[in-house]
Formats: sequence, C-alpha cells, structure tokens
Amino acid sequence: MITTTDLYKTYQMGNVAVHALNGVSVSIKEGEFVGISGASGSGKSTLLHMIGLLDHPTSGAISISGLDVLALSDQEKTIFRLERLGFVFQEYALVHELDAFENIALPMMARGETDDRISDRVSEMLASVGLQERGTHLPKELSGGEQQRVAIARALVNDPDILLADEPCANLDSTNSKAVLDLIREINQESNQTVLMISHEDWHQQYFDRVIRLKDGKVVEE
Amino acid sequence: MYAWIRVSLFLAWRAIRRGGKVGTLLNILIIAMVFTNMILLSAIMTGAVNLFHEQTVDYVTSDIIIKPAEDERTIFLTSDLLDKVNRVPGVSRASARYALGATLNHKGQSVSIPITAFNPRDEVEVTKIHQEIIEGDFLSPGDDGILLGFFVAGYEDQSMDFFESLGGVRVGDSVEVMYANGYQKEYRVKGLFSTKSYQADYMAFVSWEEMDTVLGRENTESTQILIRVISGEEPAVVKTRLLEFGVQERVETWEEAITKVVADSLETFAIINRISVAVSLIIAIVVIGIVFTIKTINQQRQIGVLKAIGIDQNAIIGSYVAQVLFIWIFGTILGMILLNLIMIYFTAHPLEFPDGDVVPAFELITMLENAGMLAVASAIAGYVPAWRIVRENTLTSMRG
Repeated sequence: MITTTDLYKTYQMGNVAVHALNGVSVSIKEGEFVGISGASGSGKSTLLHMIGLLDHPTSGAISISGLDVLALSDQEKTIFRLERLGFVFQEYALVHELDAFENIALPMMARGETDDRISDRVSEMLASVGLQERGTHLPKELSGGEQQRVAIARALVNDPDILLADEPCANLDSTNSKAVLDLIREINQESNQTVLMISHEDWHQQYFDRVIRLKDGKVVEE
Repeated sequence: MYAWIRVSLFLAWRAIRRGGKVGTLLNILIIAMVFTNMILLSAIMTGAVNLFHEQTVDYVTSDIIIKPAEDERTIFLTSDLLDKVNRVPGVSRASARYALGATLNHKGQSVSIPITAFNPRDEVEVTKIHQEIIEGDFLSPGDDGILLGFFVAGYEDQSMDFFESLGGVRVGDSVEVMYANGYQKEYRVKGLFSTKSYQADYMAFVSWEEMDTVLGRENTESTQILIRVISGEEPAVVKTRLLEFGVQERVETWEEAITKVVADSLETFAIINRISVAVSLIIAIVVIGIVFTIKTINQQRQIGVLKAIGIDQNAIIGSYVAQVLFIWIFGTILGMILLNLIMIYFTAHPLEFPDGDVVPAFELITMLENAGMLAVASAIAGYVPAWRIVRENTLTSMRG
C-alpha cells in the first residue's frame, strides 16, 4: 500500500543542515493501523508529511498503491490528497466560519458531489462520530473532543484509502482521547482503511497493529 | 472548474455571513465612499458641461447655426435664405443676426464688442434670451433702444466684474455707441438680461430696423442665422436636410459650433475626471488590499489546512476574490443609495457656479463603467494577498 524507500530530508537552518530523515524505508499494508512514535525531533511528523504529500523529500521514493507520488505535479498532488488521503491534525484545523456539517461537506463539495449526495453522506458521517445533533454548531461552540470528531468525519467523508493523523489526541483529555481512538480503530476495522497515526502516549499503542519508532530520522523499531 | 467555483462562493459567503462584521462593514463603506467619490466629481462635471451645452443652445447658437461661406464675411440675400430654411422639414424657426463692431461708452467707461441686430419676433422663437430679462423689456420690432447683457452693463463696483464693463449701466440710462462704420448714436438702455452664460451676457442687441439706420440702407445680409428645430428632431438630421435643400453656407450643429477653446476646456474636464477616477481606484486597491493582506495573514494557517485537505488553490484564492466582490456589490449598492440622496439634495439646492446653477448629472452608463472598474480594482485587491499566501509552502502556512 505505502512504501517509502531511503527517504532523506534535510532542512537548512541558516548555515546548519538539519537531517530530519536519514534514509527511512518503511512498508505499510492496506488496512493496517500503524502508529509512528519517537521523541520530539525524531522525524515522525516529517515522515507523515512526506507520505501525505505535504512536503517533498530531499531524496528517496514514495509509492502509494504502486504510484510514484513524488512524480505528481502540485495540482495532481492536491487532487490525490482530496481523493485518496484524509488528514486529522493536532489542533482540529476546522474552518471557523463553517459549522460542523459544512466543515465535513467541504471535501465532498471540492470533488463536485451533488447537494443530495453531500447531505446524505455528511449526515451519515455526523451520526458515525456521534454528533448528529451538533451539525449546525460552529467550531467555537463545540468542545475539543467534538471538534476532533468533526475533523475525523471531514477526513473520512471522501472515503480515502489512507487516514493520516498527526497526534489527534494531543489536545484532548483521556476520556476524549479514548473516544477518538476508539472511533478511528472502529473505522479502520469496519472499512479496512489504512491508518497512520503519530502518537507518543504508551497507552495508545494497544490500538495499533504495529508501531514504527523513529530516532534521529531513522527507523529503530518496526 | 465548476467545483472550485462552488467552493469559492461557498467559503466566501460563509466568511461574509459569519466572519468579522466590523471589517466587512468597513470594506463596504470604503467601496461605497470610493464609488460615490468616483461618480460625484464626474456628475458635477457632467452637470457643468450639460449647463454649458444648454446655455449654448438656449442663448448663443440655438440648435443649428448657419455661418457665411468660406472667404465671405456675411450671408447674402438673407431674406431668401430664411424663407428657404423655414420650409425645411424639422425647422421650427430661423432668426438672422447681423453683428457690427462697436465701442460702447458710459460715463467714461467703454467696452468694445460687436452689436448684434435681430428681428425680435424671430429671435424669441430660436433663443431664450427674452426669458432672462432682469430689468426693463426685451426689444420689440423697430425698437430704437439697446438691449445689454449683464456683463456689459456691469457693476458700479468694477471689482465685481468678470470683464470690462460700462460700470453699472441700468435701464433708462444712455449709452453712446460708436460703430465700426463710423456711425455714432446715443441709445437708451431698454433692457438688461442675465443668462449666466458668459458668452451671451457679454453681448448687446439692437433691432434689425435699427441696424438699417446704422448701415444707412436696407440690410439684406447677415453674419449668422440661428435655427431652432422642432422638438424631437435631431439637429444633425435637420442639418443634413438643410444641405439637401441647397443651403450653400456653412451649416453647423451647436456641438460643431462650440469653439475649439471650449472643446479643449471640456477635454480638460474629462482629463481631470479620469485622474480623479484613477486616484480613487488606487485608493480602493490600496485600502482593500491592506485589509485583505491582514485578513489572509491572520488566516494563513486555515489556508494551509485547506490546501492540505485537498482544496484547489484556485478555490482558496477565488474565495477571497468572491468575498471582495460580495463587498463590492453591497458597497456599490450603498454608494448608489448615497448618490441618489445627494442627487435629491442637489436638485433642490443646485451648486452655484459663476456661469449658472449646476445640478450634478448622474448618468447610468457612467455609473456602470465606474462600478465595473471598481469591481476589477476590488478583485485585484482581493486576489493579490490571497495569491501571495497560497503560494507559500503548505506546511509553512499550516504553522502560521
């Protein structure tokens, strides 16, 4: 499903070269729920951003479902992200001026879906994240946990092949974190959706099929 | 294509409805003020030009003017020509004028201007000078008095005069006139008129019969023939008919007869107006651009997230352009309301200019042109800041 080969990423910080990734090669199968962990600065977010086509490696290759995604143009990457990837970020990253329903609907609208289809699918997604009564609420009217569930629904509304989650529980208490992780696990099992999640909470690991551990930009455990 | 336009409009409308109200209202007000400014100066200038045109037609040239043929000083056989002209379809009435240079004197003050003779019965049908008598009476056929424009009569306090004057001549006063042919006569001022047209008000008139006396013969020549066309007829069409009826002299519509100096003045007005519009547009671009630059910088993270989840860059930029265009629509409507209120006020209280009362003239085509230019300026002001932020690396944007 996802293969990275010898990924290197070097940032130039003034005169200092920072090697965020030092030859990362990983392989993730379809339907796997994979955790990525490591200390701060270990390169886990960089790896997730590379796989999510938000950044370009200095060298190496990334293949998703056999497609060399690094060869795609910026426009093609945007379409790829819209149609095949779903993102959940630490800080929910919802559009403030859109209510929960509209935030979830946005990626479908961008795909040119009809209003009826959007309405049905978004209602379904709201129900699946337990927010069917909160659809008309703006992000500021929702709790952190509710906002993250909206973000998850938005990430999954286009039924992507891969869900990429960057510490989705970082700003949540343990109750809300558990609810979010349960939800992602449920989706992973029911839809056989591939999930990559960054986390450094030990108790999260019970949800993962396996964990890729990074240190200094290298895979130290897989 | 359709999808990203739909996303743009959707994001823009939600941002307008649920975003910061103060900023939006400020932008709407800016557009309304800029639009009002763009139109108002143009409307005042158009009103001034319209006034000048009306004055030219009503007091100076009428609708059409016939001038002597090239190389001739006068029009010969005027009576025959008048008969011919009055038979042309579309002509309401023609009036012949004969001008002779003269110097007018009154109590040591003198003015050198042509004295113009006309037949008062014809003249009242082609110009409106008779409606602007401020003192005394209009000339009657065979009259031996003189009719003076107000600028010729002038003020006793000559610092109030625009031109050299007779220093405050009034009806009943005597004015000594020395004609260019050497004939000299003392006239009693029969009437004073004030049209507020500097061209008309610096003229003096006598009756046709009086000019016969001055010339010492029955005058069959004229220096110009003014023609009033029937209401609803186009002067240019009637001019063509006059030529088709064999009028050999120079025939000009009032627009053609306006002198080059006047035409240059009108062009100067137009240039000033264009500069004013350009400055207004630059102000609009700069102010709205600053507001939207701040807005896009504040929303940089959100823009990054939208890019990350796969929203097309064009849709994101389009949402800001659409926001500006929504603001432009409301601002322009508000501007039009303001302009209508201004128009109502100035119709009741015209602007007083030395050459007449000017009512600003709001022309729909000018409003639409300016609204169109403002739309383009607004779109640029929305596009550039959004384009600059969207160009940023997605991750950089997401980090704010």
